[in-house]
Amino acid sequence: MKRLTLLPLALLLAACGTPQSVQEAPRTSLTWAIETQPITLNPQQWSQNKVRLLVFNQFDALLSRGADGSFQPWLATSWEVSGDGLTYTLHLRDDVTFHDGTRFDAAAVKANLDQFSKPGYNPAVSSIQLRAFDRAEVVSPTTVKITLTEPDALFLDFLASPYAGQVSPKSLREAKDLKFGGPDLVGTGPFVLDRYVQGQEIRYRRNPAYDWPPAGAAHQGPAHLSEITYRFLPEAAVRVGALTSGQVQVIEGVPATEVALIKKDPDLALRTSLNSGTAFSYYFNTSHAPFDDQRVREAFREAVDVDAVLGAVYQGTATRAWSIVGSRSPFYDASLERAYGGDAAKANALLDAAGWTRRDAEGYRVKDGRRLTVRTVAAAPFVRDRRDILAQAIQAQVKQSAGIDFQVRIVDQGTAQQAVEDDAYEIFENSRGDSDVGAALNLILPRDAAINRTRHADPRVDRWLAAASATSDEDERKGLYTKVQRAAVLEKAIVFPLYVPADQVAAHKSVQGLGFDPASGTPAGAYDVRIGT
Amino acid sequence: MIRRLGTGLAVLWAAATASYLALLLAPGDTVDILVGDGPDTPEIRARITAEWGLDRPEAVQYLSYLWRLLHGDLGRSYQLQRGVGEILATQVGPTVQLTFAAAALGVALAGIIAVATAGRGRWARGVASAAELVAVSVPPFLIGIVLLAVFSFTLGWFPVSGADGPAALVLPALALGLPIAGVLGQVLRGGLERAIEQPFAVTARARGLTERALVARHAVRHALIPAVTLAGWFTGTLLGGAVITEVLFGRPGLGRVAMEAVTGRDLPVVMAVVLLSAVVYVTISTLLDLAYHVIDPRIGG
Repeated sequence: MKRLTLLPLALLLAACGTPQSVQEAPRTSLTWAIETQPITLNPQQWSQNKVRLLVFNQFDALLSRGADGSFQPWLATSWEVSGDGLTYTLHLRDDVTFHDGTRFDAAAVKANLDQFSKPGYNPAVSSIQLRAFDRAEVVSPTTVKITLTEPDALFLDFLASPYAGQVSPKSLREAKDLKFGGPDLVGTGPFVLDRYVQGQEIRYRRNPAYDWPPAGAAHQGPAHLSEITYRFLPEAAVRVGALTSGQVQVIEGVPATEVALIKKDPDLALRTSLNSGTAFSYYFNTSHAPFDDQRVREAFREAVDVDAVLGAVYQGTATRAWSIVGSRSPFYDASLERAYGGDAAKANALLDAAGWTRRDAEGYRVKDGRRLTVRTVAAAPFVRDRRDILAQAIQAQVKQSAGIDFQVRIVDQGTAQQAVEDDAYEIFENSRGDSDVGAALNLILPRDAAINRTRHADPRVDRWLAAASATSDEDERKGLYTKVQRAAVLEKAIVFPLYVPADQVAAHKSVQGLGFDPASGTPAGAYDVRIGT
Repeated sequence: MIRRLGTGLAVLWAAATASYLALLLAPGDTVDILVGDGPDTPEIRARITAEWGLDRPEAVQYLSYLWRLLHGDLGRSYQLQRGVGEILATQVGPTVQLTFAAAALGVALAGIIAVATAGRGRWARGVASAAELVAVSVPPFLIGIVLLAVFSFTLGWFPVSGADGPAALVLPALALGLPIAGVLGQVLRGGLERAIEQPFAVTARARGLTERALVARHAVRHALIPAVTLAGWFTGTLLGGAVITEVLFGRPGLGRVAMEAVTGRDLPVVMAVVLLSAVVYVTISTLLDLAYHVIDPRIGG
């Protein structure tokens, strides 16, 4: 299809407007089409990685992450952790004001932390991330002391997360819809929320007073853009069309099928980044047949040629995963690469040895009159990235190469939950975008973990994870997480890692400063974005 | 009139109760939904249960729901953490605009094509029929994508998304209105062609009326009765089609809210949308009954 290439330029010029020097930088605005609508604008209620890019426009956290994953200053200029790991002393900037004109100080930090202990405010965060939180004390206007009940290696990660986005205590008290947020729930961020139209767009305007970016920012002072609008366009083809026709200048969420088209267009640039957290993986339910037998678990992995499947489904844009931990994490164990998988002969030998020797009329393996059937039950609202197509490709492969009947069901959320409760599934598919993968492992692997869907218990793994959560020595944590990965992936084969989730941003060449959040690998906010020449 | 009002209220109550029961019987309970795919511990569950009063017996929850409804309180959304009334209030406007524009467009197109082609040569009828058939059988999603690709992405005449101003309304209204024009056009032309073969048509021709004038002045009224009956059907089509159209074009509106509420089992929002649709249905069918009398005085009261 021939596309008009002059149009975007004309629109961009129009968008730039006349550079009248009113009081500050020239007026520049930008429209960015995104896939997902936020269900809340309150950073402390945040739950969608897909809208993380909005949070830090309006709010600043206490700490930030550097490109190497280290913790860096933001609203806190420095911090000390006591030897026993129980006391965190934060030293705060003294020049920060909220959008409503009130000052940011130690009392504000305390008010934000105490907010989580209000009943019903955010039960998930108060019982997971703030499990060990005891109290916060104001030492001086710029010093706050936080005491924990037990050491927590993930506490700094919390201080750098959207949950630690600082909200004006005045608006915490007065906001009309506290849990939803909106223009009356204000932060200290580089942009002020101007307008939110559910189903259409969210618009921010520059905070002219802003002068406290995170340590890794590319510039100082107020944001480059005077205004940014995010349009909600859930259809990928429509997002791409809006970009190529110049109606928006940036889009996120570029499906594999559109990547080639964007790469070919000389006016457009595509950037991708792997996400943090766990790889998208199939978790084997070890509580009943057939996956209570390790040989069958291994056979399933050997029966799939993951490279071929990913190539067919994602056209070469997906990154293969080898461990439950995504390869972007500093704790990733690269020694797992090519250590297993893709050997159909081995798959068949394993299944023969496990007693699945006979075949029925349709070619599936049978044992004691029962077909070798495994089921995955996925909730439609959480199926993305063509994971349904991926499942179908794997279904065809395991049938052809090993005679396994893999049944894929995409259902509503209630039915999926019911299947979990009834133990009526053999495979559970999941990826998590936690900025520190340790948080995800704590939720997935321990015996009584909140989303332990393998129903597998390994006392060694529980011990290693507990030890890793209690130390902040990164080398020691890496050693422990390496053992955990080897146990889960190689020794026990309870997980089948498939690919590392990634985010894509496509934009007109003239848009500069687009990047990814070093903590999560998802698109960064708009602070450094500018329209360059 | 009072009997009509009573029937209307009964329909509303039945709609509210039926959807309440359906959602209650669907697999998984509300706490599951509120937990979602996030962390799930007994402690989190207990706090959620307490927050939303889900530990009360179902019958009590149902009665308290009806009681609040009587006071005009639609409850709070589980997912969006806001009052349902407030959510609907901001989303009704764009949907009303879209559905009225689509209905007007559909009716106008159907009328023009039917009057222009009824009783005309085989060729004109064939072309109109084929166009109608395409409009009816192609899914609205595809119609929308094609309209976008041609008129927005390539020609740049209309914006792709939003609900700002009339230009943004054209493509969504077309995508939603074309299938209606297709069905309505066929029915209307069929009615017209039957009417111009009636004895009164011979009389009218004998008075020297041209064929056009005959169709426009006399036959239309006869052809309208089956078409008006269809209007009830197209209210449903419009509300259903609004879901797809709003998502595709990135427009705010009730359809999109309803879809997200159903997939997320956001009970208070689903119930409110069902009630609202029932109100619209009852109102429209009442209006249609009145319209029959106007079109054809022979239909008794």
